[in-house]
This record gives sequence, structure tokens and C-alpha cells, in this order.
Amino acid sequence: MNKLSPAKEEELLRYLDGELETSHKIKLEAELQGAADLKERLEELRVIRSFLTSKATLETPPKTFTQKVMAGLDTQPVKSVFSPRKGLLLLMGVIIASVLALMLLSNGVFDQTNTSLLVDTTPIKNKWIQETTFSIPFNGKILVNGIIFLNLALALVLLDRTVLRPLFQKRSSVGY
Amino acid sequence: MITTEEEYILINRILAGEKQLYATLVDKYKSYAYTIAMKILENRSDAEEAAQDGFIKAFHYLKSFNRQAKFSTWLYRIVFNTAISYKRKVKPAFQSIETSIIEYSERADHQTEQDDKKIFIVKAMNRLNEADRLAIQLFYIKEFNMEEVAEMMGQNINTIKVRIHRARLRLADELKGLLKQEALTL
Repeated sequence: MNKLSPAKEEELLRYLDGELETSHKIKLEAELQGAADLKERLEELRVIRSFLTSKATLETPPKTFTQKVMAGLDTQPVKSVFSPRKGLLLLMGVIIASVLALMLLSNGVFDQTNTSLLVDTTPIKNKWIQETTFSIPFNGKILVNGIIFLNLALALVLLDRTVLRPLFQKRSSVGY
Repeated sequence: MITTEEEYILINRILAGEKQLYATLVDKYKSYAYTIAMKILENRSDAEEAAQDGFIKAFHYLKSFNRQAKFSTWLYRIVFNTAISYKRKVKPAFQSIETSIIEYSERADHQTEQDDKKIFIVKAMNRLNEADRLAIQLFYIKEFNMEEVAEMMGQNINTIKVRIHRARLRLADELKGLLKQEALTL
């Protein structure tokens, strides 16, 4: 059997569904008389349609169905702690904070923060601590870089939870 | 049978605190909700649980029902989404095509030609992509029109129309192929 055109197949489906106008229907019926291929395809589609129609029955739920629903009304459905709206707001906040920090960093605001925290200089040293004290090196630039890195990691997690995961779940659920 | 107006009055009373009246809505729509869940999950106990869960969610979100759509459509969408979530959690049972053909061959002698075709169509149905299968199954449930199926599945009506037509053509192709294969093995 030669493959019918999509338009012809669409026509056959509409014919079976009773959607064709009378003149169109008469024309197709005349065409069917002389075309075995068309007739055969129509028969195949008719079998499918009658099967689908016969399967159109409603399922009967168990007798206790309503009772169980009513008993469950007091249980709160589990809400997502992380709503997409909240997640997106948080994501925007994280991105803005990171951009601001990067701008300050590139303007050299943190360049002057290279210092050491010397315990020797504290007023309590002579009074309470007699031993030689140590100093802690402090670099503001490294600290801000670390914070930006953590912010970007957080932004990636938020992007995954609020945008990518829901999007892919939705797409997989409808079978695209 | 209650009308849409009566249904809105009922919803107002439920929202005002008469929660026992919700049983009327459950009774009215439970068969449809259960059938939708069955089409998706293909398992009675899972479908029951998902449909009940859908009703419970709908009760808790009843305030957000804006009455622009029918209550039934809104409810079915909740049940549909709940059943889809359940399906993601439930591990799908694997059945190979080879096994199913053997099963058919063993039963062939005891079936009439019509029954054989039905078995073939069920098998062909399982080979459709899930969205097409659901669209066609939901559309052929009594009283669901294309618009309702589209709202339920959260898709455009034209997409649903394409899905249903494509599925019908594909089923016809599969049926022909399977019958031909069967004829060759006789």
C-alpha cells in the first residue's frame, strides 16, 4: 500500500469523527469507491477508533474512597519550603551582591586591606599577657574573592533548584 | 446532579467552614479523578492514593480556585499533576517486546479475531510516547473534550489535537505491522 499524504490521513480521521461537511464527505466517499489503499487505511483507522471508544469507560474507585479523602482533609499537603518565587528573588539578590563585590574589587577598594592583626598592640597585652604574642595576616582581597566564589556557588544551586530542575521535570512529565 | 451555580454555593459553604460538604464534590468527581490517575499510573492502589491526594490538595487550595474555569477542570489538573508526581516516584515495570509477543502467541488459539486486535492495540498503545498516550486516553474518557484535556495537561489545544491525531495514525500503523508480522508467522 502506498503511503497516504498527511492531509489525506487527516481527512480520513475527520471523516470518521463526522467532522467533514456534506459536500466534502460525498467527494471522499466517491474517492473511496475506487481506491483500495484509501479504503484499507480507513478500515484500520476505524478499528482504532472503535477500540478507543470502547475503552472510554470510567473506572470505579473503591467504596471507601470518599471516606478516606474526608479523613485526610486535616493533614496538610507537604509544601515546598523553597518556592520558585522566593528562590528567584534570592538568586537575584545573590547575583546583585556578587556583581557589587566584583565592581568594588576591580576598583581596588580592597587593595589597602593587607594587614596583620597584631595581638601585641592591644591594650591588654602588658597587663595580662606576658609571653610573646603572634600576628594573624589579613588580606581583604582574598576574603572578598572567597565570598564572591561562595556566592557564585550558591547562585548555581539556586539556579538549579528554582529554574532548571522544575523546567526539566515539567518537560519530562509531558514527554517532549 | 448539581449545577455549576450550586457547585459555587457549595464551595462557598465549604470555605466558610462546612468541610463535611466536600464529600458531595468528592462523590461527584471521584470516578473521573480515579480514571485519570489510572490512565497515568496503570495501577489501582497507586491511582487510588494519587486521586485521594489530589482531592486533599484541592481542598487545601480551594481558596485559590478563581472560578474562571470549571471546578472539575481545575480539580482534574491537580489530580493529573499529582499522579504525574507519583509516577516519577514509582519505578516503571519493564516488559520486553519479545515477552509480550510470546504471551500473545500462547493465547492466540483461544482468542477471537477481535480480541486479538484488542491485544495488539493495547501493545501498540504502550509503545506510544507518554504524552501522546495520555492525550489520547484522556480524550476518549467520556465527556472530556479537547479543551479540557489541554487544560488538564497544561498544553495548547492545537498541541493536544496534533498528539491525538498522531497517536491514532501511529496506532493504525502499529496494528497493521503487528498483524502482518502475525500472518507471516502462521
